Amino acid sequence: MSASQSAVRSRAEAVKVSRTFDWLILFTLFFVVLGGYHIHYMLTGGDWDFWTDWKDRRLWVTVAPIVSITFPAAVQACLWWRYRLPFGAVVCVLGLLLGEWINRYLNFWGWTYFPVNFCFPSNLMPGAIVLDVVLMMTGSMTATAVIGGMAWGLLFYPGNWPIIAPLHVPVEYNGMMMTLADLQGYHYVRTGTPEYIRMVEKGTLRTFGKDVAPVSAFFSAFVSILIYFLWHFFGQWFAKTDFVKAA
Amino acid sequence: MAATTESVKTDAAEAPLLNKKNMFLGAALYIVFYGWVRWYEGVYGWSAGLDSFAPEFETYWMNFLYIEFILEVSTAGILWGYIWKTRDRKVMSITPREELRRHFTHWVWLVMYAIAIYYGASYFTEQDGTWHQTIVRDTDFTPSHIIEFYLSYPIYIITGVASFLYAKTRLPTYQQGLSLQYMVSVIGPFMILPNVGLNEWGHTFWFMEELFVAPLHYGFVFFGWAALGILGVVNTEVGAISKLLKKDLA
Repeated sequence: MSASQSAVRSRAEAVKVSRTFDWLILFTLFFVVLGGYHIHYMLTGGDWDFWTDWKDRRLWVTVAPIVSITFPAAVQACLWWRYRLPFGAVVCVLGLLLGEWINRYLNFWGWTYFPVNFCFPSNLMPGAIVLDVVLMMTGSMTATAVIGGMAWGLLFYPGNWPIIAPLHVPVEYNGMMMTLADLQGYHYVRTGTPEYIRMVEKGTLRTFGKDVAPVSAFFSAFVSILIYFLWHFFGQWFAKTDFVKAA
Repeated sequence: MAATTESVKTDAAEAPLLNKKNMFLGAALYIVFYGWVRWYEGVYGWSAGLDSFAPEFETYWMNFLYIEFILEVSTAGILWGYIWKTRDRKVMSITPREELRRHFTHWVWLVMYAIAIYYGASYFTEQDGTWHQTIVRDTDFTPSHIIEFYLSYPIYIITGVASFLYAKTRLPTYQQGLSLQYMVSVIGPFMILPNVGLNEWGHTFWFMEELFVAPLHYGFVFFGWAALGILGVVNTEVGAISKLLKKDLA
């Protein structure tokens, strides 16, 4: 390669080439991250995300934010620190939600006929926006982990409340008290339906009644902070450009 | 005068930097093919895929599996072999413009990899969740597994390795050794396929009902993380492309 030659014929072409690469990179990053994030999320928190009768006040609120802050933290570590792009978390969550919605509609409904109001995905967007905004405003990984991570955990339940509330109203069915979401589960039997598999509303925390969701969200926020730190460093490692010599 | 005319002629006949036609045709190939696959699942999943001991299961699903194996091994052999055999042996002497063109072609491969990863890791993997929540498995080779594990995963592996090989054989950037994160982003997701062995062994041994978050599935999770290696690939590419364009963009 000759250093004196130019790869482009004019500045205009250089700008056009640069913009074209931007789109190719964004598309690739979006869909590869979508794939990795989705397989991670569906296999670590998926059951709580798939079905309304798993979306309880304790484990859904605890598990979903903890396992979902991972990829946003890693992608932020690359996009912000290398390119000052403040949308690492939002781009991850948009990808995840796109993958989930396509699936819930075309496959959960389209192939196995579960109604969409039984298998819609959880909303992670409020936490993602806050995570990105905190990083952009503070420019600090520590502040983002502590403030953003805590917000990620705390905002999850309120962010989903308007969607899930109508399904958490109590109903009486054959003499038993349950939620409307539980009733949906009874009508749509799955291999994960048996109560020894369905992990909802377990433990003595239930005796605290109305406090279950806030306490779970607070615990989730605490662990989300720790997970953010860890995954931020993972993200820095994955963003490396090192070469190794072939053996 | 003659030289100038010749130069203009060369420019006019020059291949475009980004072959958009190839890119859109490639993307269409994946989308149309997987659209057909989804149609096949919809029709023959319910009509012939519920009982693995039924003769129609052999006809519509096991034969599908055998054909997949043959086509995948042949495609991988031909495609990877072609890219390797036609490698540029003087890759360090190409012109900057040719290098830029090859980067674009490389990105066409990466776009295909992104599409293939989406279908494999997102579309068909979560689809497997709803199928096995609905139909009790009586074989390792269920309709959703035949598509997910043995079709969509090999396709992204074939695409990813092809992309890696293209970069390694045609781009000066990748001549300094093996890009660590490129290997992570290709070999990590590849490892999801061997991990199917653990998954099937576990399901056969314990015959657990489909709890998607069961620890038996964590191997998929671990190797799924490797998709983040794409961040390193992007950074390597941005560095290389910036170097090519730097003085023109200044």
